[in-house]
Amino acid sequence: MMTRPLFTTLASLALLSAGATAKPPKKAATTPQPAPTPSVVTAVKDADSPLSIVRVEVTAQAWDFIHPWSKKAPESRSGMGAVLATGEVLVTGDLIANANYVEFERAETGERMAANVEVVDYESDLALLKPVDPAFLKKLQPLEIGDAKVGDRVDVLQLESTGAQVETAALVTTVAVVPYTTAGTPLLAYRLSSSLQYRDGSFTLPLLHDDKLAGLLMRYDPRSQTIDAIPAPVIRHFLAAAKKQPYVGFPRAGLSFAPLRDPQLRHYAGDNDSPASGGVYITAVEPGGPAEQAGIKQGDVLLSLGGNAVDADGNYRDPQYGKQAIQYLISMTTSGSSLPVKLLRAGQPVSVTMTVQHRSSEDYLVEPYLIDKAPKFYVLGGLVLQELSRQYLKEWGAGWEKKAPEKFVYLDRYQDDVSANGRKKIVFLSQVLPTPLTIGDDQLSGTTITKINDRPITCLADLPAALEHPINGFHKIEFAEAPHLLYLDAAQTQAIEPALMRNYGLPAIKSL
Amino acid sequence: MFKVAVCFLVSALMVVTVRADEPVSQVRKSLVRITNTFVDPDYRVPWNGGAMNGALGTGFVISGSRIMTNAHVISNTRFLTAERENDPKKYVAHVEFVAHDCDLAVLKVDDANFFKGMVPLDFGPLPEIESAVSVFGYPIGGDRLSVTRGIVSRVDFQLYTHSGVDSHLAVQIDAAINPGNSGGPVLQNGNVVGVAFQGYSGDVAQNTGYMIPTPVIRRFLKDIEDGHYDRYMDLSMGTFNLQNPSQRAALGLPDDDTGVMVSDVQAGGVSQGQLEIGDVLLSIDGHAIESDGTVDLDGAQVLMSEIVERKFKNDLVKLGIQRAGQKKDVTIKLTEAWPYNLQASEYDHTPRYVLFGGLLFQPLSRDFMDAYQPDDLRLRYFYDFYINDQLYLDHPEIVVLSAILPDPINSYLGDYQNGILDEVNGTKIRTLKDAAAAFAKPADEYVIKLLGQGRPLVLEAAAIKAARDRILTRYHVPGEQNLGDDQ
Repeated sequence: MMTRPLFTTLASLALLSAGATAKPPKKAATTPQPAPTPSVVTAVKDADSPLSIVRVEVTAQAWDFIHPWSKKAPESRSGMGAVLATGEVLVTGDLIANANYVEFERAETGERMAANVEVVDYESDLALLKPVDPAFLKKLQPLEIGDAKVGDRVDVLQLESTGAQVETAALVTTVAVVPYTTAGTPLLAYRLSSSLQYRDGSFTLPLLHDDKLAGLLMRYDPRSQTIDAIPAPVIRHFLAAAKKQPYVGFPRAGLSFAPLRDPQLRHYAGDNDSPASGGVYITAVEPGGPAEQAGIKQGDVLLSLGGNAVDADGNYRDPQYGKQAIQYLISMTTSGSSLPVKLLRAGQPVSVTMTVQHRSSEDYLVEPYLIDKAPKFYVLGGLVLQELSRQYLKEWGAGWEKKAPEKFVYLDRYQDDVSANGRKKIVFLSQVLPTPLTIGDDQLSGTTITKINDRPITCLADLPAALEHPINGFHKIEFAEAPHLLYLDAAQTQAIEPALMRNYGLPAIKSL
Repeated sequence: MFKVAVCFLVSALMVVTVRADEPVSQVRKSLVRITNTFVDPDYRVPWNGGAMNGALGTGFVISGSRIMTNAHVISNTRFLTAERENDPKKYVAHVEFVAHDCDLAVLKVDDANFFKGMVPLDFGPLPEIESAVSVFGYPIGGDRLSVTRGIVSRVDFQLYTHSGVDSHLAVQIDAAINPGNSGGPVLQNGNVVGVAFQGYSGDVAQNTGYMIPTPVIRRFLKDIEDGHYDRYMDLSMGTFNLQNPSQRAALGLPDDDTGVMVSDVQAGGVSQGQLEIGDVLLSIDGHAIESDGTVDLDGAQVLMSEIVERKFKNDLVKLGIQRAGQKKDVTIKLTEAWPYNLQASEYDHTPRYVLFGGLLFQPLSRDFMDAYQPDDLRLRYFYDFYINDQLYLDHPEIVVLSAILPDPINSYLGDYQNGILDEVNGTKIRTLKDAAAAFAKPADEYVIKLLGQGRPLVLEAAAIKAARDRILTRYHVPGEQNLGDDQ
């Protein structure tokens, strides 16, 4: 039909910028914002007393997902690291994301030392660093981990350019499960109110309570003067997991639920008790996830988890932090551990055991994050083929959810609803590098690949094998969308590779 | 309130040397000034009458005591008057035929005296590029007849903004066309060569006005000869240009720059089952198709779709194709116009809706999107990819829970606004009428499932019954549904 566009095109490539230096702090969604208060500096330790923090200088270079064969310009970040008794330094994952080089600096002496990343978990946004020479940390005072609770006053540590340590007061106002910055993982966070002055290297500020490390600053919103901090329990859980090789991240149950306050829904679900008796309505279980494997079904009412009663909003009573979302309970268990689950199914009680598991980014159809990793690509005769990831969509910058190609944003958001059809990844044509072989094809982009040479393509790694079987001398490429069918001369596709690499500065024709 | 059809302002045009061979005294006997009192439907409160508005436009007398004008001049009309030059009387007019897909309409006037002394205009050919034309009408800037002159700048396919989705042949002219010119004749050698209809606002492009050319006008007049307007027909398929050597060789074509590949066949369209992806279209009704999708038509190189544009319901299209190396002929009958038009603006309808337990359900449409501007990703995807991803197959209408009138019955359902209705009590909902029927069916409870939502909305029949009058009274709703049956 003449009125329908045949192809979608990548709009506004010029707008791409994703500098990681200036991360806008995410605004707290629903909590009331405290009134601005003047900055309360509670202590200034001069450079002669032993400190518990080091400066961390990072040179980072992110991969360019639009030109997946190259990295973006290097950038510098600096932050604070908390020194631990293990001879390691704890920082946020954000600080060392895509790091090429990490260096410590002793605030008191200005001494510098290269450091290595020992463990990093971008979901809990934590990383452990180690100096090349362990003696570097000798004179520093290691920190223990200690919890804070609502109402506690904690101190945020910063360094003056003189090397003096400044402590600014902050008040813990909320302890709740929130989505973390990098991967959106729901984990416990402290929300604090504090008027924090910008100082040299404000990434990863340690929070002290009774001289113990209560948390690490994850994000700060200067307008509402709100800090979200990674709390002691999450840090402890990370440190425990980091002792084991290989590192396994925080587990999840793979289920989603809706509150069961609506009496009409309660009757429908076969639960004739009042909402006060609790329970949530299971709305979905992730295919192949822990909940599904445990036999939990959409429509079940979740009554208790690990022996803890679940209320009608999906909270349980945590001995330390009171009413918390059940995600916290699950995240604090170890991947592979089992939880007893009590359900109501069509009015009948059912008990199952669920073995919670971590789900790594690679196991998603659309990977939620890709950090420190080169994007995969295959440049086939000029057609740039990639695997869809949220990292690619984030190249559209702030507000990418509305700027990036809508169908890809949809596929990312609703990937559990989308029929995967045996696909491990969504392989798509991101752009066409004009070559003699791609004349007339250069407007194509954003189409997803289903088959090459009649072989199903479930991920980019399937390409080499499929390309070994051209049909009558042509590579037959099939798309899910128009034009559905594209041919490339197989011999020319290979012959053109040196020119393609030379003209477009490709270090390689593919990276799988 | 004063509404204008053509939304742009252009300052005075430079004078071009053109033949001024349209004596105004003659044209005065054909021109009609049209005043339309219309109502803009209120999609956010669909049971409301909507806001009353007025519009001014131009028309002209054609054969058979009829007035031709633009569809957008007379859309959503409640009361229509026609006036002629040198006659103070306002004559009541009504719409005889309207074609929203090509922005044309034909009006009738009850009082036969209106046409006394009026001279019907005849239609001319597609004007040559650079030839002079004159535009007559009643644009802003004064009350009396206005004439502007210019030349034909371009002949091309253009989007007709009235429906927002249809593209047809249009002629670009550099004569000033301003709000109020809409529906007015563009003359050359005493014949109508176009109907002025749209342009750009002055801050976008200058001296750029568009008229509907006579091939489109003639097609409309022929279509309505049987007393019914059938709309444009199309093949409901997409093509891919065959300029790529690999693609040509793989499809077994010589290097002769002919043919395009079928790249999409819309399920539910007339080509389904007749054409396949990968077929090469070599000719259409005997015209050879170039590799860029154009054909030679009367000496001019035009898009192949122009051939189909000129066809009518039940006409045949003869395609010469090559499938798997074999040449063959395929004849496609244009049995019906494309039925899934959710992305086109609607006119002359009151918004359809169903209200159930305070939940307002409306079919997704262009007007709906304009009214609500929803952020919801799923809703935007279903709107934007309705055709491309063939979402119309499962959901010919996308029935949306567009608003909730708060009431104790729906206290816990606020989060589900913008959800797409998928099932009621186990019955799949494909249209708004399906929803109305499912809600009308007696049951103890109504289990409403929304797409992608694992939590059903459950409304108990007893609660619905108790809430019905309460909600209608509180929110001043005159009726629980409008299924569009009376339109």
